[in-house]
Amino acid sequence: MKYKIGIDVGGTFTDFLLAAEDGSSEIYKVLSTPEDPSIGTMRGIAEMAERHGLTLEDFLARVTTIVHGTTVTTNAVLTMRGATTGLITTQGVRDALEMRRGIREEQYNNRYTNVEPVVPRYLRRPVRGRLDYAGQEIEPLNLDDVRAACELFRKEGVEAVAICFMNSFANPEHEEAAARLVAELMPEAYLSVSTRVLPSIRFYDRVSTTCLNAYVGPILRRYLQSLVKKLDAANYRGVLLIMQSNGGVTTPDNAIANAATTLLSGPAGGPVAGIAYGEVQNQRDLITVDMGGTSFDAALVKDGEPLVTTEGEIDRRRIALPMLNVVTIGAGGGSIGWIDEGGLLRMGPQSAGSSPGPACYGLGGELPTCTDADLILGYLSPEFFAGGRMPLYPDKAREAIKRHVAGPLGYSVEEAAAGMYRVINVNMAAAVREVSVAQGVDPRDFPLVVAGGAGPNHACMIALELEIPLLLVPRESSIFCAAGMLMSDLQHDFVRTYPCLLQDVDLKRFRALVAEMRDEGLKLLRAEGIPPERVRVVYSLDLRYLRQYHEVNVEVSAEEIERGDLEAMAARFHPEHNRLFGYELSDVGTPVELINIRVKTIGITDKPRFAPEPYFGADPSSAKKGERPAYVPAADEFQTVPVYDGALLKHGMRIQGPAIIEQVNTSTFVTPEYHLVVDRYGTMTIYLPVKEDEVLRRIGK
Amino acid sequence: MSVKIDKVLVSILQRRLKSITEEMSIALARTTRSPILCEAKDFVTGLYDAKGRMLEQCENLPILAFSLGPVCQYIVDYFGDEIYEGDVIFHNDVFSLGNQNNDVAAFKPIFFEGELVAWAACKGHQADIGGAVRGGYNPEATEVWQEALRIPPVKVYEKGKLRKDVWNLIFANIRLDIVAEDMRAEIGSCVVGERGILKLLERYGREAFEAHKEYLFDSTEKMMRAEIRSIPNGVYHGEANAYYDGRNPGSVHTIRVKITVEDEHITFDYTGTDPQTEGFVNGTYTSSASATLLTFLQMVNPDIPHNDGMIRPIDIIIPEGTILNAAYPAATTYGNHLCPNNADAIMRALSPVIPDRVTAEWNELLCALTTGIDPRKGIPYVDIGFMGLKGGSGAIKGVDGYDHIGMIDASGGVLDQDYEMFEQQTPHLLLKHEYWTDSAGPGRWRGGLGVITEYIIGSDDTQVVTFGDGDVEPARGVHGGGDGTLNTIWLRYPDGTKYQCTTKDLVRGVPKGTLYHQEAGGGGGYGDPKLRPAEKVALEVKNEIISREAAREIYGVALRDDFSVDEEETARLRGLA
Repeated sequence: MKYKIGIDVGGTFTDFLLAAEDGSSEIYKVLSTPEDPSIGTMRGIAEMAERHGLTLEDFLARVTTIVHGTTVTTNAVLTMRGATTGLITTQGVRDALEMRRGIREEQYNNRYTNVEPVVPRYLRRPVRGRLDYAGQEIEPLNLDDVRAACELFRKEGVEAVAICFMNSFANPEHEEAAARLVAELMPEAYLSVSTRVLPSIRFYDRVSTTCLNAYVGPILRRYLQSLVKKLDAANYRGVLLIMQSNGGVTTPDNAIANAATTLLSGPAGGPVAGIAYGEVQNQRDLITVDMGGTSFDAALVKDGEPLVTTEGEIDRRRIALPMLNVVTIGAGGGSIGWIDEGGLLRMGPQSAGSSPGPACYGLGGELPTCTDADLILGYLSPEFFAGGRMPLYPDKAREAIKRHVAGPLGYSVEEAAAGMYRVINVNMAAAVREVSVAQGVDPRDFPLVVAGGAGPNHACMIALELEIPLLLVPRESSIFCAAGMLMSDLQHDFVRTYPCLLQDVDLKRFRALVAEMRDEGLKLLRAEGIPPERVRVVYSLDLRYLRQYHEVNVEVSAEEIERGDLEAMAARFHPEHNRLFGYELSDVGTPVELINIRVKTIGITDKPRFAPEPYFGADPSSAKKGERPAYVPAADEFQTVPVYDGALLKHGMRIQGPAIIEQVNTSTFVTPEYHLVVDRYGTMTIYLPVKEDEVLRRIGK
Repeated sequence: MSVKIDKVLVSILQRRLKSITEEMSIALARTTRSPILCEAKDFVTGLYDAKGRMLEQCENLPILAFSLGPVCQYIVDYFGDEIYEGDVIFHNDVFSLGNQNNDVAAFKPIFFEGELVAWAACKGHQADIGGAVRGGYNPEATEVWQEALRIPPVKVYEKGKLRKDVWNLIFANIRLDIVAEDMRAEIGSCVVGERGILKLLERYGREAFEAHKEYLFDSTEKMMRAEIRSIPNGVYHGEANAYYDGRNPGSVHTIRVKITVEDEHITFDYTGTDPQTEGFVNGTYTSSASATLLTFLQMVNPDIPHNDGMIRPIDIIIPEGTILNAAYPAATTYGNHLCPNNADAIMRALSPVIPDRVTAEWNELLCALTTGIDPRKGIPYVDIGFMGLKGGSGAIKGVDGYDHIGMIDASGGVLDQDYEMFEQQTPHLLLKHEYWTDSAGPGRWRGGLGVITEYIIGSDDTQVVTFGDGDVEPARGVHGGGDGTLNTIWLRYPDGTKYQCTTKDLVRGVPKGTLYHQEAGGGGGYGDPKLRPAEKVALEVKNEIISREAAREIYGVALRDDFSVDEEETARLRGLA
């Protein structure tokens, strides 16, 4: 038997999905080891070997692919423990990185401080040499200045050097010359050159991305080398792939060279998994949501493609590389309920985390959390939490809610818990709205794919808030991102800036830029062992109306580029602008301006195939394990609600809400508005009755 | 109304309203042309109830924010029962509660089941609004018509139909065609707001919406009252000077405020403030009251929702004919920029009373607007030098001032142009935009740093208009902290001559190749600089934001060549040895 492993290293747990070639799969979870995450990773793999009665070496001999999402780079930024980094930049603009264009996000808060720059000012070294807006040299690069910077860097123990010059997007020569000299003088240093990392216009975006890349580069290099060494020592001969923030995977070497592409590697697995689970039912438009202990992630998938942004941030620092547009808010099982000075109930963003955790854990937490409310409302079982391995204490939950929420509001504990439940659901719905409405998309047309330990208990209410008629809760929802990693393709993104009126584009230059990017991508994929028939290339343009400031990314075809059909390209832009912003100007004749050309090269990987289950029938009674009182929001009262064992659900079983489905790592509350049916891969499909015919047709027998 | 109040629904309503105004803001930022709007976000979006009372706002630039509500109320009265579904109303008139001529608002009434239920509105600083001078800032103006086209409430759409004649009348009087496009974007943003409100009403119904809205107002009012109660009762006086009215060099104009705190109520009374000037350095009631509010809001819990309830316990009295509330037909374009002076007066009054909550003074605005024809493209450009104007904020007990944040009326909501986009959209070449060493007012908590900006002007016959203050009096430190540095702007022409701009200047015919130089000062410090941790000072010297000399003389910190602290000498300098 051959296996593939998806690994998602999270803050608390490292999740594993082991997929066998016969279509069976197993879920593993071990505690993460933040000091050296490869320890937790190897521990999980050892646990799998043991459960299969094999030595680590024998087990790994059967593994063909390991796909690995990592928070190593993310945490390095969040905790400011990246490499000592130096920046070589154009004289006069060395503070752009720290200024962040002068923003203070909380305007009325005079205690709100700026974020510490990843390169301190004394290591941001100005050099003489200047290109104009079109890339023409005004002043030659002064190599002595570069040399002096390197001298200082060596003295200060700099491990990584970022190079970013004004207008280099239009001409990389100065940066390349500086890079050659740095490589010569500091051969050990990790080198991050802006025109290699992100050759597009906007200086702050580029300098921030380039510096972040340098800051985490040596960290990722160290970590991946350690992991590779451990896998080598265990005689692993399969493929190791790293998840990137753009939803694709790449080899460790490429990941190291472009370390910033892994800054949001973890959550990126979510939308990719959503695509795979949606595909089973031929659903290509989706919203994926993932509710864990402290945070809630939401992302949009449109026509089988996850939504991508180039305006991402990590802890208020810009990363302008393409990454999946995942909106994260502070809402999770640990979110704390509190009453503000005006007497109104609020939930979060403060979280009790896993320590001390919710009051009902009995680990010393005294503040009421979302999990406490879920317990009081009957959605969680005090005996079956974490599969019965962790008892919950309803009295402690009750006491916390009474003291901090119910008392001040003058409500009963149950009313207060119901209020907490509703408020956090609205907060999460707002995040979903942000990834949908703000993108010009109506969430009602997008089924909700639900993940995370706490997600399924809240999903129906979020969906109702947004009038979403259909939800998918995969059986693997608690390790969703790990599953997503196994579904990812190899992907490399490229960009070139060519500011020009679209109608005036020099086709020769345009095609040359496209070809340059495509060839670079094909070369990388070839090195990654992808045969030509498994390569896909996607072209797009960042366009705007003349003198607008922000662009709209529009996909164009290879054929249009070949033909040089600029009108066809513009014709794709107008309706997209209208969809996003409510108007277009094609009738007024406002010219369209080109800013960036983008190329994405994709190498399609072998995906694990999950075995479909045979059709069992609609009757769910064999999975029913009992009933208990639970709060039904629509009726605003507690009712006796049937409880089902998620492990016993079978393809075709149908359940009418209200109902509770318990699994080892999660629990699902189906509100009375919804019905549920299980598809052939065990995904719980939850729908409003108006959708019944369509859903049953999609599910099939 | 006999609706049972669901307190949880009140929380939900507040959250929803907030997110609708945020969506409106995203739509506007993404579709406008002028960098003042799409880059600097010099605009505000908001929702108001049928009577024009504030429901929620997204305040990118707070100085604009508190004028939409009063104008909305004015419009409700103005049109009376002639407000229809599908109307869109424009407004900028400063003598009917507008704050500044260039800040043009769009209002869209929202109807549900045939009845007016709410308004969606937004207002942004338009790149041109007619008048004598391109871009709007005319230091030579003495009356409103020399500054701008006045737009009292006017319907540009009625019942969903564009009033082409009205539209053309307006835009025939404005120089730049992007203004029409940007006003279209404002309407788009209002449509986004309308859609959001309608969904809310469909979901919860009119009656529940109204009742819960009132409850929300009351709850917010309660929060604000609790904040005011925490300020000791009393009458507090503060004053601050504005310098130079643009016409009489050396003129000084004093703002005087009397703040009365009575339990849960606060009054700001500006009686005794100097009379209005003959030039354009004059506030309107709305711009001045906005300045008062935004300054005060920084001294209270930043989480208070922004709706009608928030402003109920606050009274603002500004006599007409004063520099903060000029009488018709005064020129007033400068009025928003009296905010920093007004803020200083308020902070001086309250700093001794609530020292933990009041910052040292902020760097005052000094700005330049350059316009001309881009020789590379043959098209006009307008640039407000946001990157150059942003100095430092004042420090507060426990926290340093914010570096390069900009004037208090924006409080970090207005962003620098991106350098490369600046060079694409103007013909200028940027030479320098960096933190200014020793600009921060020293203190145990230092002020925010100012910046120095230099660029080469790239068009002939360029017009440079300056407006602002802060070249006479720096941002003052408090409780032993030192002052920040002063503002200045000067030009060096290609022939080598230097021209020192005044703070309200109109310089015509500036040739290509001229060097533009601007210094935006730092904010004031808080507390004795000799109490600042020596290690922190050492790192700042290493980072070249404090000089060795200043470290020694002002902070009493002596450093060795390798930037380590010479403990012994430092103790001596600090009088501890």
